[in-house]
Amino acid sequence: MPSNSLHKVPKLPSKIIQWFCKDELLEEIEGDLFEHYQVLREDHTKWKSDIFYWFHAFHFLRPFALKKFGQNSNIIIMYRSYFKFALRAMWRQKASTAFNLLGLILAFTVCGLIYLHVQQELSYDKFHDRAEDIYRVAWMNENPQTRTPHPMAQAMVSDFPEIESAVSLSPIYAPGLTKQSIKLTLEKENISFNEPDGYFVDSTFFDVFDFKFLEGNPETALNSSWGVVLSKSTAERYFGDAPAIGNRLSFDVNTDMLEVVGVVEDAPVASHFHFNFLISYVSLKSLNFNDPWMSWTDFGHFNYVKLKAGASEEVVEAKIPKWATMYLGWPEEAYEDLLNGIDRFDLQPITDIHLTSNIRWELEANSSYTYLFIYGVSGLFILLISIINFVNLSTARSAQRLKEVGVKKAIGARKTELLSQFIFESTLTTYVALGLSLLVIRNLESEFNNLVQGQIDVGLIFSTQSILFLIIVASITALIAAIYPSFYLNAQKPGDILKGLSGKKIGGAKVRNTLLGVQLVAAIVMISGSLIINEQIKFLKNKDLGFKQEQLAFIELDNYEDKSELMKTNMLQISGVESIAALSNIPGGQFNQHPIYPEQNPDNRVDASELFLDDDAMSVLELEIVAGRMLNEKMAADSAGTAFLINETAAKELNLEDPVGKNLFWVDNENLVKGQIIGVVKDFHFKSLHVPIRPLIMMSRHRGFNYVVASLNAENYSMIIPQLENEYQKIFPQNDFVLKFLDDEIEDLYEEESRTLLLTSLLSGISIFLSIAGLIGIVMIAIKQRVKEIGIRKVLGASIGQILVLINGRFLIITGIATVVGIPITWMLMRNWLGNFTYQNGISPLTFILTAIGLLALIFITISAIAIKTAKSNPSLALRSE
Amino acid sequence: MKGTQLGEFEELVLLIIGVLFPDAYGLSIREEIIKQTNRKVAIGAVHSALSRLQDKGFVKSDLSDATHERGGRRKRLFSITAEGKRALEKNHELRNSLFNQIPEVALKGLNLSAI
Repeated sequence: MPSNSLHKVPKLPSKIIQWFCKDELLEEIEGDLFEHYQVLREDHTKWKSDIFYWFHAFHFLRPFALKKFGQNSNIIIMYRSYFKFALRAMWRQKASTAFNLLGLILAFTVCGLIYLHVQQELSYDKFHDRAEDIYRVAWMNENPQTRTPHPMAQAMVSDFPEIESAVSLSPIYAPGLTKQSIKLTLEKENISFNEPDGYFVDSTFFDVFDFKFLEGNPETALNSSWGVVLSKSTAERYFGDAPAIGNRLSFDVNTDMLEVVGVVEDAPVASHFHFNFLISYVSLKSLNFNDPWMSWTDFGHFNYVKLKAGASEEVVEAKIPKWATMYLGWPEEAYEDLLNGIDRFDLQPITDIHLTSNIRWELEANSSYTYLFIYGVSGLFILLISIINFVNLSTARSAQRLKEVGVKKAIGARKTELLSQFIFESTLTTYVALGLSLLVIRNLESEFNNLVQGQIDVGLIFSTQSILFLIIVASITALIAAIYPSFYLNAQKPGDILKGLSGKKIGGAKVRNTLLGVQLVAAIVMISGSLIINEQIKFLKNKDLGFKQEQLAFIELDNYEDKSELMKTNMLQISGVESIAALSNIPGGQFNQHPIYPEQNPDNRVDASELFLDDDAMSVLELEIVAGRMLNEKMAADSAGTAFLINETAAKELNLEDPVGKNLFWVDNENLVKGQIIGVVKDFHFKSLHVPIRPLIMMSRHRGFNYVVASLNAENYSMIIPQLENEYQKIFPQNDFVLKFLDDEIEDLYEEESRTLLLTSLLSGISIFLSIAGLIGIVMIAIKQRVKEIGIRKVLGASIGQILVLINGRFLIITGIATVVGIPITWMLMRNWLGNFTYQNGISPLTFILTAIGLLALIFITISAIAIKTAKSNPSLALRSE
Repeated sequence: MKGTQLGEFEELVLLIIGVLFPDAYGLSIREEIIKQTNRKVAIGAVHSALSRLQDKGFVKSDLSDATHERGGRRKRLFSITAEGKRALEKNHELRNSLFNQIPEVALKGLNLSAI
């Protein structure tokens, strides 16, 4: 047979065989396969022969033919023995192994959860395809706000070449600018819900934002008037799995007003606004084209622009002031502040909104970097404390393995080999802890989300990025924990070790004590930090807001028809309802604002928040009048809304010495209302304590009453509320009854702070637990080393008390030093946090004194509890053996 | 003790080695098994059995000269050792003796076509 007639065998299976089969068998195996292949090719096609070849090749992967990796590889043998040593050492010291694992699991779990939370906070609005090009236009004057005029968006697209598309949108507001729930009804099925988060949007909404369409056409959906785009979850509420498109929904009392033109995916959790339904502005324009709300005069809409790729937002920002003067239609002198940069239109990158923007009219409550920072630092501290415990225990343990190390060194182990053994052991422990903490994290999803009111998805912990993060954390932990003990042990001469230095000189006490100090600093920062947060929240909650909060229930009204008087009269019949009033806004909520100016000095325009209320509201809320009189609707001017009450701040900012009786103009968009100041109300905190008190104007306006507020007798809420609902349903049979308690609403304003308090308290609890546990380990070693010393002292007449002082002394000094270092750190961190508040409690030195005394006492008790046994024991026991 | 027993497939391979003498190697053994018994076996299975037989000392092997049809590789030629021969004989005798001990009656009642 000529050589060129031989068929070549497939390469890959041959390679596999070469990798896996024993070298001495390789020749005959390959030979047989080769020969067989030649025979196969005589009778079969190439691909069939190849398959047979694969089949036979695979049949060689059986035990007799496989290379014995385990038995003839040094590395395998070495690691197998490391593994055995590690397991034995872990097993021998069950308590410290369990403690190590527990501490590491705690630390990794905390780190993992915080990492997920931080990742989520950082990912806000990044889901849009070109999120980095999307900006919101904000109006930055002395009281900055997110809202700007409606025509601005499209004017920017046509005038600025840098801008690709823009959208203007607005939540559906009730008068007085509280977000309104709209009742949508599917008539044929008689399904209806009160839908919050309805928005009016430009037809260009989907040009700027990327929400995936499930039904309908993104190009045309919002072009039609009274078309509605639903979010997926909303659509499911009405239509289940059936297609929604083409169906009609009723908008409040307007039967079948809306046609479903599209269904889109719900906005992800990490979005700075969420919508249930979108209606095109086209619809509004078809009703009332001259609505001043839609004009340049009303800063009442959210405008977003998408720049062309590569365009710079600074260039656009610089052009806006001059450009805006063409449209705004203000008097010349009003542009001054805009042109010289005191007032600005800013472009806020959409991805920064969630963490950096906290101005008026945010669509949803935003967070801030301060909180991420607090969480991140807490997580790092816990990790640090845990690593230190691990290091300290490892050194202590390694001292008990001196003999093993000595023998190994005597036999000829090199330093690197000992190092690699220790790294192997600590890696083993950390990775076991990591694996277990992944399990814990998986099971803590709902608990953690409840705790931080978050919506993290723990499934993401298994994403490459998070796993990488945890592996890096674990590896660093393992490395740090291994390096010190192995260097310490390596430094000893094998002869010394074997001679028995174990009892005398378990070294590294200095390092251990330093590390203990670092730990205590971390614990002190966390404890005093949470005490300060606690103080501040207590301060906010106890601060006199200037109005009554307790036992006040707010009931939403349907302001399409003014039935507030009827409602009041009917509800007042219920026993337990002490008094009742109607008004437009809930204290603590959002307030609309317009400029006001006194007749005598028209240049002094002040932006004032507005509150519409009836005669009884002042007394129900227990607001105080400092000058003038209350509203009285029996007087013509009062009921016409031309009698104004203002607060003290407004009086001050208007520069009115004696405001009562002065004439005042209220610029309600294009509607200029002239009225008279009839009274001045004592300042009260109608907004949260995050912001200072602003000017406020109050008047009567029946169309503006969104709520009745009832003062209830505290003892029988459960009796009163159903009766209130009953009365409500008699008047508004179609509407849902919504009742809120004012104190709950006020409490919600400080939700973020309460949550931070809860989290930092929990974390500082963990940190103190871990530090004390680490301390116990160290003290036990220290005592063991000083047993003889203590014995001798006792023989010479030392009392138990003196011995306790002796043992405690060093650790109390360390604690003292840690306190001195920790206090300024806490002070700096917490000053930064307190900067978020207009009304600050300040940092009381008492906090630090309490922390220090508490910690010292705790440490003293802990150490004494461990030491008392040694201190009491008979010295002869300690001294009789050498 | 492992090594004294002769498995069924091992016995078959051992017998074939004898049959093919002096030309028994992996592939030829496999082909002979297929030819004689109609059992489909993978080459790897034959090699595995051969390696067990060699471990037990029933066969010995030598490398032949390289041949062209094997891509220049040598064959490993197997032959039965004295121990292998003894093991075969033992198995053979055991089987015969057991067969002879079966009483006539036991076989008589059987339908022969079923055997």
